[in-house]
Amino acid sequence: MRVTTLAFAAALAVSAAATAHADKLDDIISAGTLRCAVVLDFPPMGSRDTSNNPIGFDVDYCLDLAKALGVKAEIVETPFPDRIPALVSGRVDIGVASTSDTLERAKTAGFSIPYFAFTNVILTKAGIGIDSYETLKGRKVGSTAGGYEALALEADVKKWNDPKGSFRAYQTQADVFLALAQGQIEATVVTSTVAAAIVKEGKYKGLVMAGDAPYDIDYVGLIALRQEQGLLNYLNLFVNQQVRTGRYKALYDKWIGGGQVPNLTVPGVYR
Amino acid sequence: MNYTFHWRPAFRALPDMLWGALVTLEVAVLSMVLGVFFAVLLALASGSRFRALRAFATSWVELARNTPALFQIYMAYFGLGSLGIYLDSFPALLAGITFNNAGYLAETFRGGLRAVPPTQVRAARSLGMGPVQAFRLIVLPQMFRVVFHPLTNQMVWAILMTSLGVVVGLNNDLTGVTQDLNVKSFRSFEFFAIAAVIYYLIAKFVTGSARLMAWRLFRY
Repeated sequence: MRVTTLAFAAALAVSAAATAHADKLDDIISAGTLRCAVVLDFPPMGSRDTSNNPIGFDVDYCLDLAKALGVKAEIVETPFPDRIPALVSGRVDIGVASTSDTLERAKTAGFSIPYFAFTNVILTKAGIGIDSYETLKGRKVGSTAGGYEALALEADVKKWNDPKGSFRAYQTQADVFLALAQGQIEATVVTSTVAAAIVKEGKYKGLVMAGDAPYDIDYVGLIALRQEQGLLNYLNLFVNQQVRTGRYKALYDKWIGGGQVPNLTVPGVYR
Repeated sequence: MNYTFHWRPAFRALPDMLWGALVTLEVAVLSMVLGVFFAVLLALASGSRFRALRAFATSWVELARNTPALFQIYMAYFGLGSLGIYLDSFPALLAGITFNNAGYLAETFRGGLRAVPPTQVRAARSLGMGPVQAFRLIVLPQMFRVVFHPLTNQMVWAILMTSLGVVVGLNNDLTGVTQDLNVKSFRSFEFFAIAAVIYYLIAKFVTGSARLMAWRLFRY
């Protein structure tokens, strides 16, 4: 009796020590649930269907990852500015949220290798004389707070320094389209995928695309806590496998479609 | 928590945040001045003989006090926008908060007016003052003495409400600047902590100077 009690205590101590060293990857596997932060007003990457279920490229990407890990996926709706607080406060395990991998942000969050790449286009209203990026000078423009294109557009508006021009940052993508449709702003810059989806949907009348924005290609990565190297390592391999197995192309065709699948490699450099 | 604070780069952004705080204070002060003005009118209207005036004042006060400030500001921007009236972010925020301030203060002022005994007006009139003169010289000063502390509370509330400007795209007030810094660097906790301290200091400064003012103004 005494021996078994001792053995039991020893076993408990060992397992306690083991869990003390568990990292995030272990936590996810033992919890049986992968909680992904996904932005759900950013079609076709993330949105809701008519019965309010989350759908989109990022949603499917999270489901695939959960399947690979052998756990259940939980989609946690997260607006763009709240991605890092959600991650740091432990409300989510990873972000599948089209997060641009800037060096500034990488001081705080850990990025996987790119899992998607965006180009940006100008979205404006028909017949107000905006037909290229240069014609945005001196206009009222706006974008979603925290987006890659918002940072680039705001920087250019500051650089142009035209007293008639202004930049407004809105909290959600939906508010940007509302402001554009109403005339609070005259143009916005959005990722080509979002622009195509919103023009096709036709909910806002008179919105048209007006040429490309001359920004660098916007590579986006999955995010996790910076120090969770085990998990980040897994995410890197997962992104690689998605491309290798053709799943990346399948998801692209399903949600975006048309044209070439965006190339996720940069020529002339490793990683 | 899985987070290491980086205070040095965060403090480099302090001047930008203080400029933002100035815009915040600007909105709050303007909204109070306008709010007090409209509130006096509303308080008078709610005691008026004309039914239409009373109904107007009641609906303003009811809407302002029983709907979220967020909704009021959103309506000033996107609501008016859908009717073809375009307010820019700053005036929309100002209009929203002024509407809210006026609604709350109107009730406060109505109570303040009741606290001035009607005999005072009659006494003033019997001394030969006109109705406007009696109101301005006898009623208003006594009312402001009664409502001074609720007024200070509303001022603090107005300062904190300015943070709702981000929903209508305002990006140069304290919250707007903070949010901007946050999304660029993802150092949410540092920037929000600094912003919280600045809001706290502004609010304390306002209550402190109000106390000083009350002490100078309202000595018997």
